[in-house]
Amino acid sequence: MNMDLETAAMLRDSAARYAADNYGFLQRHAVLREATGYSTSAWRDYAELGWLALRLPEAHGGLDADPLAVGALMEVVGSRLLMEPVLASAIVGTGLLVKLGSDAQQVALFPGLADGSLRLAFADAEPADSPCRVRGGRLSGRKISVLHGDVADRLIVSALDGDNGGRRLYLVDPAAGETEITRYRLVDGRGAANLHFAGAPAEPLGADTAAVEAALAEVLDEAAVAACAEALGAVRVLVTTTCEYLKIRKQFGRAIGTNQALQHRAVDMFLLQEEVAALTLAAQQALGRPAVERARVVSGAKAYICNAARHVANEAVQMHGGLGVTEELDVSHYFRRLMVNAALFGGRDEHFARFLAAGQKLGAGGMHA
Amino acid sequence: MTDPITEARQRAEGLKAAIRSFYDGVMPADLKRKSRLHQVLDKDDYVRWMRLLNDQGWAIGHWPKEYGGQAWSLLERFAFEDQLARLGCPWVIPFGVKYVGPVIYAFGSPEQKARFLPRIATTDEFWAQGYSEPGAGSDLAGLRTEAIRVASSEGDHYVVNGQKVWTTYAQWADWLFCLVKTARGEQAQKSISFLLIDMRSPGVTVKPIPTMDGYHHVNEVWLENVRVPAENLVGAEGEGWTYAKYLLKNERTAGAIVGMAWHALERLKSLAAEAAPASRDRLETRIGELELRFMALEVASYQAVESMMRGTEHGAEASLIKLRGTELYQHIAEAAVDTLGLAGVAWDAAALHAAAPPPLGPEDAGGIIKDHFYNRAATIFGGASEIQRNIVAKGVLGL
Repeated sequence: MNMDLETAAMLRDSAARYAADNYGFLQRHAVLREATGYSTSAWRDYAELGWLALRLPEAHGGLDADPLAVGALMEVVGSRLLMEPVLASAIVGTGLLVKLGSDAQQVALFPGLADGSLRLAFADAEPADSPCRVRGGRLSGRKISVLHGDVADRLIVSALDGDNGGRRLYLVDPAAGETEITRYRLVDGRGAANLHFAGAPAEPLGADTAAVEAALAEVLDEAAVAACAEALGAVRVLVTTTCEYLKIRKQFGRAIGTNQALQHRAVDMFLLQEEVAALTLAAQQALGRPAVERARVVSGAKAYICNAARHVANEAVQMHGGLGVTEELDVSHYFRRLMVNAALFGGRDEHFARFLAAGQKLGAGGMHA
Repeated sequence: MTDPITEARQRAEGLKAAIRSFYDGVMPADLKRKSRLHQVLDKDDYVRWMRLLNDQGWAIGHWPKEYGGQAWSLLERFAFEDQLARLGCPWVIPFGVKYVGPVIYAFGSPEQKARFLPRIATTDEFWAQGYSEPGAGSDLAGLRTEAIRVASSEGDHYVVNGQKVWTTYAQWADWLFCLVKTARGEQAQKSISFLLIDMRSPGVTVKPIPTMDGYHHVNEVWLENVRVPAENLVGAEGEGWTYAKYLLKNERTAGAIVGMAWHALERLKSLAAEAAPASRDRLETRIGELELRFMALEVASYQAVESMMRGTEHGAEASLIKLRGTELYQHIAEAAVDTLGLAGVAWDAAALHAAAPPPLGPEDAGGIIKDHFYNRAATIFGGASEIQRNIVAKGVLGL
């Protein structure tokens, strides 16, 4: 955790340059048609650019990046709607392995993570009637809506420890058998899967339940904050694109942006963008704070950003008129990405409830007392 | 003598009861199922649906008796659309029965009435609307599609060139009613004419516009040297604007949005009952607020309809119904997507067509998402919300 603002800015600039050259809207259209739901060649490039080693420790050749640097990359992911499993594998999966992996697990898996040959997915949500449980090293149960679970080489699965009790994490190789994968796309075109384990070999990750709980809470907050940065990137594009359109689209003999009512709505979108940026930064900084304070800021940010991003996306569609709902224009793609972004790693209501609960724990004085 | 409003109310209640028993007794199970799940209906489904309505005398219930209608009052017409939508019935395709039909019986020639009206009533011919153009969305005065009248020995005809856009179901249409410019340089309102174009004419090309709900609703329609017989001009040349305004008035007084909001709200309530306890409190408050907004919409809409019947309207009624109705409906859809959680972003567009279950969530999860996408356009088409507010500001508030 030793990167500074300048380093984060450099990473943002170089990532933005790469994405501008290699991930334009038309190039992305081709990616949407790929069976994997993402570009394997872009993924190799990310490995070469060091993005996939961002979250790895320096001792293992990684960059040991702090939340600001991760956010800088995620902002670019959001601004160009990159489809690759950066968040699922390089941030969440890698983060869990960094915090909980044994030396042997880390030595075995880090090189593949850095070079992109190993893709991780984190499987957490499960149907109430079919919880995951491990007994004697075998995993049974179901997981739903696993982001990039359709292509992952290894799964990190949360499950009850049927032998010792408590909730643990397990590494599962979906190719090792007894794992049925139902693949589908999310509304933004990224791949996902529902998983059905019927005695799949499962290797524990983390020393004990307490270690797992603490690490999981931290990584899930990191993920929520990374999602905020991704939303910020998308929101910035929508605000800019919409303002441009207001200047060029003419109806009734003049640019529609000359209407004060639309100007004011554009200003409100811009104000939301600035709040999203401010909350994202605050949430990145809060990741290093004590748990309750972290929960207050991170969940407040995620809840606010879910609403703000939805408002910006709705307004961008509305002000583009019919074009806004077409496949042909990027606006509808940002709209869909922000829908998924809002649902992943805790939705608005869940985070709002956590924000309130943390506020009660912090008491009347709050964080600044 | 009974007060006409009281009588209309009684007739509207009778109609609503008849619709409910039609739904229970006559409506085919496959159409019920498809529309309940918000799946994609194909042309055959829609034609079958429109004919079922016509068999009940409802497809053209609002037409005058001399053209086969029942001369419904505005209230019956509104209640008809509201009730169908509350039951979650398919869309009543308006292009023939609601839009062009009334223009033809009000302004068309005797030959046009005889030629077109019966086949509109039975949906033997499918219609599409050629209004919007790339440069003329809300601002119809910006139309550029041109029709030049040419005299010939076989009778006069128009040669039409231009491009229409957002043409719903043009891929199924036999006929296009079309606003065209028949005079250059003149004041926009005086240069527009209303033309009926056979979609099989040489020079007509339909290109789909894919939308984010993964479905093919809308199209571009290109018109290149399309020859249209002069007898397909409705009314007088240069009077198209008057007819268009008459039609838009019909388009904008729509009871369906009230029923759709009601239907979506009921579904939201049943979804919420299954939601995780942690988020239920917040959801209940949110639903309560939506219910209150629905009540405001419902009472204001029905009172507005009655004002229009009494002739005491202020002119903002249709705009109020459209603005409040579409915005409320969008908010209900958002609440439903939020309630679905992860199932609200899991998507298999193909499943909506193949009628396969969605990858996650209840059977209608995909349909709820599809409707959410589609209804982002509800505040754009048929007079965007911004235009509705302009109408009220200018026409009612005198600003």
